[in-house]
Amino acid sequence: MIDNFPPGFVMVLGALLIPFLPHIIKQIYMMILILISAYGLTLGFGIHSVINIMEFDFILFQADKLTFPFAIIFHIAAALNVIYGAHEKDWKQHVAIMSYSGAAIAAIHAGDLLTLFVWWEATAFTSVFLILAGNTNRSYKAAIRYILIQVTSGMFLLAGAIILLVNDGSAILTKFDINSLYGQLIFIAFGIKAAFPLLNGWLQDAYPESTAIGTVALSTFTTKLAIFCFAKCFAGVEILIFIGALMTFYPIFFAVIENDLRRVLTYSLNNQLGFMIVAIGIGSELAINGAVAHAFAHILYKGLLFMGMGAVLYRVGTCKASELGGLFKYMPITAVCTIIGAISISAFPLFSGFVAKSLIMSALGKEGLVFVYFMLLFASAGVLHHSGIKIPFFAFFAHESKIKTKEAPINMIIAMVIASILCIAIGVFPSVFYQILPYEISYQPYDFSHVVGQLQLLMFAALAFICLWHFKIYPPELNSTVLNSDWIYRRMIPLFIIPCINFSKKITNKIRIIFYLVLLKIKIFFANYMIRNKVFDREIGQDTLIIIQVFAIFLIFLFFLHYTSFTS
Amino acid sequence: MKSVIKKFGKINSFVLFLCFLLLVLELIGHRHGETNIEDLMFFPAFFGFLSCIIIFKIGVSLRSFLMKDEDYYDR
Repeated sequence: MIDNFPPGFVMVLGALLIPFLPHIIKQIYMMILILISAYGLTLGFGIHSVINIMEFDFILFQADKLTFPFAIIFHIAAALNVIYGAHEKDWKQHVAIMSYSGAAIAAIHAGDLLTLFVWWEATAFTSVFLILAGNTNRSYKAAIRYILIQVTSGMFLLAGAIILLVNDGSAILTKFDINSLYGQLIFIAFGIKAAFPLLNGWLQDAYPESTAIGTVALSTFTTKLAIFCFAKCFAGVEILIFIGALMTFYPIFFAVIENDLRRVLTYSLNNQLGFMIVAIGIGSELAINGAVAHAFAHILYKGLLFMGMGAVLYRVGTCKASELGGLFKYMPITAVCTIIGAISISAFPLFSGFVAKSLIMSALGKEGLVFVYFMLLFASAGVLHHSGIKIPFFAFFAHESKIKTKEAPINMIIAMVIASILCIAIGVFPSVFYQILPYEISYQPYDFSHVVGQLQLLMFAALAFICLWHFKIYPPELNSTVLNSDWIYRRMIPLFIIPCINFSKKITNKIRIIFYLVLLKIKIFFANYMIRNKVFDREIGQDTLIIIQVFAIFLIFLFFLHYTSFTS
Repeated sequence: MKSVIKKFGKINSFVLFLCFLLLVLELIGHRHGETNIEDLMFFPAFFGFLSCIIIFKIGVSLRSFLMKDEDYYDR
């Protein structure tokens, strides 16, 4: 029975019981759910569960070498989320996180587009509660925008799936043709969730409005699900290389000027997704391994960074660089863990980012894509700037703020320490890590050239930051809103649409008045006509009956005409 | 040495020392990159330093038209 359940499904179902359990039992119960779900990973590759509804085979549980690493890291992340949020008494967030992680895990095991669509929407509708949990007017509005965009993505996916189903008679999840209409629709659907350039507004808009634990969960699943889908359906599509390169490139500048540190991390998340998209666009075995490895490592260190900032938010109540500073002496363990996350994301040797990113850079070098290679190298220096230095520096050092606080709760610390250990373990033992990747490779990230080259790049970028700070060239962080692509639908379109709506309202009001007047005239005319000609009088009524009889005969005649033509 | 540490602080001096060490390491061993341009002497160091300055410069220049008041969307 349990073998037929796709991994994650039990988490979605089990989440319904969470509200009825007392506080600590709830956490143990959630861990058990994750363990039961993880049992599905031991069943091996192949199709394990198919149900037939309305003559369509829904492939609920399909495992292969690509789903395996994603399933592992999704389970690890779900477990870390449970530990990290153990202090939280609000059951709504736990239900949302558990069902959201379950839906994402089930989504990667979907074997056809319709099953994927169901879980695709499930991730949207469960995760929106995490943004609503922010419990502010802003978070409410952001949640509405978030769900609208996520549902739009789902509609594109459904449209593509239906076209494919009508054309081919099946909607099995496999490599799609980007030149076909259905391929393009599905590409856009994935692109929205992967936060492509100009489609990325929802990411920076919604994620930082969530709670401390909500953002950690959000940062893990939705975007990486999109990355998984791209790797499965669009590996080797050339345009992804350029889209990805752009994604690594431009969020850097936004991250540099953004003041809210969790929002900085969402820009950084966007930039990291770019690395994965580039690798998927290359499509070679080394590159796909790189994309998967990067997604795996990224979930850990980005989760760790969000945990660190979440702990600061939980204790201090704000994540704004302009208001933070000097927290190291109050929150030393949080600070050290955040620094480990920052070092990992910057891809310093012996940390997880390095062993993952090296695969992508080597794949790029092998393909001879020099320009993209240097864009990514530039982006690597940018990552160090905004995630490696800015996050820990402005939160825990920089200037002395007047904030006095204490270390994060013990459960948060445990989650952060585990994530830190995993970040270092992956960096130190890359050969073990590489074994779970989709393709077998013999790749050695630690050679003299790689290590010295990478260290030079990072250390001199750090030196540049130090110079800018030391000589007081670096401007102070300011309370501000940085305009992003969501500005298009939050300000630009309303700028044109609202006058249009007002104008059309005026016009329609006038038209309506004219219409009413005309209608009134007609009514009066007919009323007069009826009274004058005594329509309701008896003698006229008999004539009307004759007309009805003639009409009925005509109908019967038509019927027979039709019937005879049908039988002959 | 002590005057450098006093002037720049412990961490900054350590970074400075590491940078120096990395340049020396390049002179001792033979480093080669994924592309031909990278094989130039001290290329990653220059590239890293310059990138960081460029990112900073572009970021600061973007402030003028991307940075709005905190309640920009709430108005």
